[in-house]
Amino acid sequence: MTLLVVARDLSRNYHMGDELVHAVRGVSLDVDDGDYLAVVGPSGCGKSTLLNLLGGIDRPSGGSVEIGGDRVDRMRDADATRFRLLRVGFVFQRFYLMPALTALENVELPLAEAKVTRRDRVARARELLAYVGLAARLDHRPAQLSGGEQQRVAIARALANRPRLLLADEPTGELDAHTGAEMIALLGRVNADGTTIVVVTHDEDLARAAKRVVHMRDGLVVDDRRQDAP
Amino acid sequence: MLLRLVWSSLVRHRARTVLAVLGVAVSAAMLLDMVMLSSGMRASFKNLLLSRGFQIRLAPKGTLPFDTDATIGDATAVSSTLRAISGVATVSPVLGGQLYVTRGDRTTTTIALGIDPSVQGDYEIVAGRSPRSANELVASDDFLRATGTKLGDTLSAAAGFDPQLRAVTGRRALVLVGRAHFIYMAAAQNAVALPLQTLQQMRGEPARDRVSLFMVRAASNDRVDRVLAEIERALPRVTAISTETAMRQVDERLSYFRQLAVILGAVSLGVGFLLVTTLVTVSVNERLGEIIVMRAIGVARGRVVLQVLLESTAIMLVGAVAGLGLGLATARYLNSILASFPGLPAAIDFFLFEPRDAWTALGLLAVVGVLAGIYPSWRGASLPIAVTLREEAVA
Amino acid sequence: MTAALIALLFVQAIDSTSPRPGPRTIAIDDRLAADAGLKIGDRVVVASSPGGLGDTVVVGAIMHGRADPSEVARSEYRARMHLDQLQSLAGYGDRVDRFAIGTRSEPGADSALRAINSVAFGFRAHRSRDIAVETSRTFLVVSRFHRAIGVITIVASAIFLLCIMLLKVDERRRDIAALRLLGISNRSIIRGVMVESALVAVLGSAMGVALGWIASLIINWHYRGVYRTPLAFAVVTPGIVELAVALSLVLGLGAGLLAGRRLVGQPPLDLLTGRSESRRSSRAAA
Repeated sequence: MTLLVVARDLSRNYHMGDELVHAVRGVSLDVDDGDYLAVVGPSGCGKSTLLNLLGGIDRPSGGSVEIGGDRVDRMRDADATRFRLLRVGFVFQRFYLMPALTALENVELPLAEAKVTRRDRVARARELLAYVGLAARLDHRPAQLSGGEQQRVAIARALANRPRLLLADEPTGELDAHTGAEMIALLGRVNADGTTIVVVTHDEDLARAAKRVVHMRDGLVVDDRRQDAP
Repeated sequence: MLLRLVWSSLVRHRARTVLAVLGVAVSAAMLLDMVMLSSGMRASFKNLLLSRGFQIRLAPKGTLPFDTDATIGDATAVSSTLRAISGVATVSPVLGGQLYVTRGDRTTTTIALGIDPSVQGDYEIVAGRSPRSANELVASDDFLRATGTKLGDTLSAAAGFDPQLRAVTGRRALVLVGRAHFIYMAAAQNAVALPLQTLQQMRGEPARDRVSLFMVRAASNDRVDRVLAEIERALPRVTAISTETAMRQVDERLSYFRQLAVILGAVSLGVGFLLVTTLVTVSVNERLGEIIVMRAIGVARGRVVLQVLLESTAIMLVGAVAGLGLGLATARYLNSILASFPGLPAAIDFFLFEPRDAWTALGLLAVVGVLAGIYPSWRGASLPIAVTLREEAVA
Repeated sequence: MTAALIALLFVQAIDSTSPRPGPRTIAIDDRLAADAGLKIGDRVVVASSPGGLGDTVVVGAIMHGRADPSEVARSEYRARMHLDQLQSLAGYGDRVDRFAIGTRSEPGADSALRAINSVAFGFRAHRSRDIAVETSRTFLVVSRFHRAIGVITIVASAIFLLCIMLLKVDERRRDIAALRLLGISNRSIIRGVMVESALVAVLGSAMGVALGWIASLIINWHYRGVYRTPLAFAVVTPGIVELAVALSLVLGLGAGLLAGRRLVGQPPLDLLTGRSESRRSSRAAA
């Protein structure tokens, strides 16, 4: 198994008024290529901050992050942006689709940024939306889609440029139990097809579906164990 | 994709976008008017001065043509001197005065120009012909209306009054042989033109061999400065004014309007800038989540900035195009106000439209549109992704 | 005669120590005094043609420029001399341009006017105020022009104010939606928005008046220097201030009313969730 993500002594501090908050303190984490990792813990334990550090959308106060051999923490903003476009996919709790674009256009967005030709990106977007079960909803706008459907579109968008790593922050947070189960199944399929997934969650079902669970508390990893996939 | 996002952002809040475009349209109209005003008067006056091809004017020393009642004496000798100067093609003497035309029990006062019909540059014949003999004259339509006369009528005209004798002086019977458009006259002004010697005789001793002005046409435009220098050397008692000198005098007299044009133009741009920058700032603040997510999924900062800049520039340009029509309409209205300046030649336009003016206004507005969008777009695209996402989630 | 003859006069300063018996005095304007370096007591020669023979006179007074708008853009120098001396110099004979007549009373002016015109030949008598009306036509044109610019500015301001109020109110739609869900009436909300916009308008107009007053000082300083005149070019009067504030208030209240009504016309839940926004954008983009 090759390592895809190597994080060493990661820390992140914030100033909140006069107080210095240590959101992440000296976390070291290795993620194998093809793994499916769930980070769990109480609210405010630093799990979302850790995810942001891994994805390069936040800079650590200390430590390092390597993804596929590239030092993400040292990249300039433009390079980190390009890196995220091509190598990392993000899924957010609140979906964050562009409200005026159709499902197809939302998935096309990162492909357009990667300068993929129109023909190729439409084909890829169709393929991805079919993959997530939304082949019949290509021309619908987010307002016309249910929460679960919107999150599927968000996953399709995250997979557009074939990233090696998918980072998901509370992907089932806004979904009901039934839809959440569908989402868990979809993420499982994505992982089975070769994408490494790191998911942050409060959802026990989602955590159980992962191959490995990392527990955090007060900015520290307090437990890290593998578990069989369901 | 980029244009799609720009369009979707603009139509998301239609009322707001429409109002902003309207606001920019009014600013653009004002800007276009001011650009037209700053160059229009000058261009219009220059066209007027050169309309008959006379590049030089001679007036009594220290005065501008018809600025005072002063006249140039020994006009015949001056005329000969001018004609003898190399490079002078045509010399047109003009004497200004007033005539009192009696018809029945009504007396009409009219401006009278004494001219040499063969070389005159003061009027264009509309009907009839120029005077060929001493007792003929041409008149403006306003004069014909005021006196109720028509071509072929004989008029009784006098040049002055003698209060001691209680009689008019210099009375003559003159035949109306032509209707003319007087190029340099104000609107609704009674005007006639008759042979120079006739007017001099009618005015008597004070006007003997005197003129108010000489108009000189140089053989070619390249030689104007040389001819001017020759005239000043040969005739130190007169002031020789080239078109450029006259333009400088006009600039001085009308500098107020040019300065007003610059100030109001700048204010228009400033108002347009404030409006668009406020709109863009609020628009960016409202969709920070979208903007930050685009950054998170790998859309480059420059592209995000470009999207917002395109929005602000689109508002400016659409407003500018709408403002073009509005500006032409308001320019017409404002011109009609200023055209009623007493004594202003009817041919002068304060607001003269040239396509260059529209391009200038459009270009300025495009630049301002870009500037208006730069700060809010850069600020929005440069926010820290993680922190902003957290704040948006909390909000 | 005045304008014509002034153009003819040429002033030559001569050695002020040369003794001449009893020269007459003239008054010159301050610009001529400054530009030619003349002062009271200096002797000059006035002639009707450049370099011609003329009369030696003494500068007896220096006149300050009048706050006369009709003379603002004119750059000629002005001099005043004894009538008979000017008539003689200019060869004008026993002629004048005008008489100015003062009567003992107002009714006296009317009867004098009638009497003069009944015997006038070749001239007419006019009331001074009628002359003023005629000669001020130029400034009436300028006033009309300024008023037109003012109207355009007011229209632009109205649109601007409405746009800003719409933006401000839109920004706080969730707060307003929450208030409505709590039971605050639409009327109270609209009233609140109108009070806010009125305050913005009044504060803005106060700042605008201050800015306008400063601008008028700068304008007067600049143009007085350019045209060398004591004329006031821009004046901020109480009436103008009242008009500006009143107009701002009306525009502000109107903008607040329109913006507020637009907002309370939407269901509060739509405002909270942004559903109306999504529906509108979907409809618009479709």
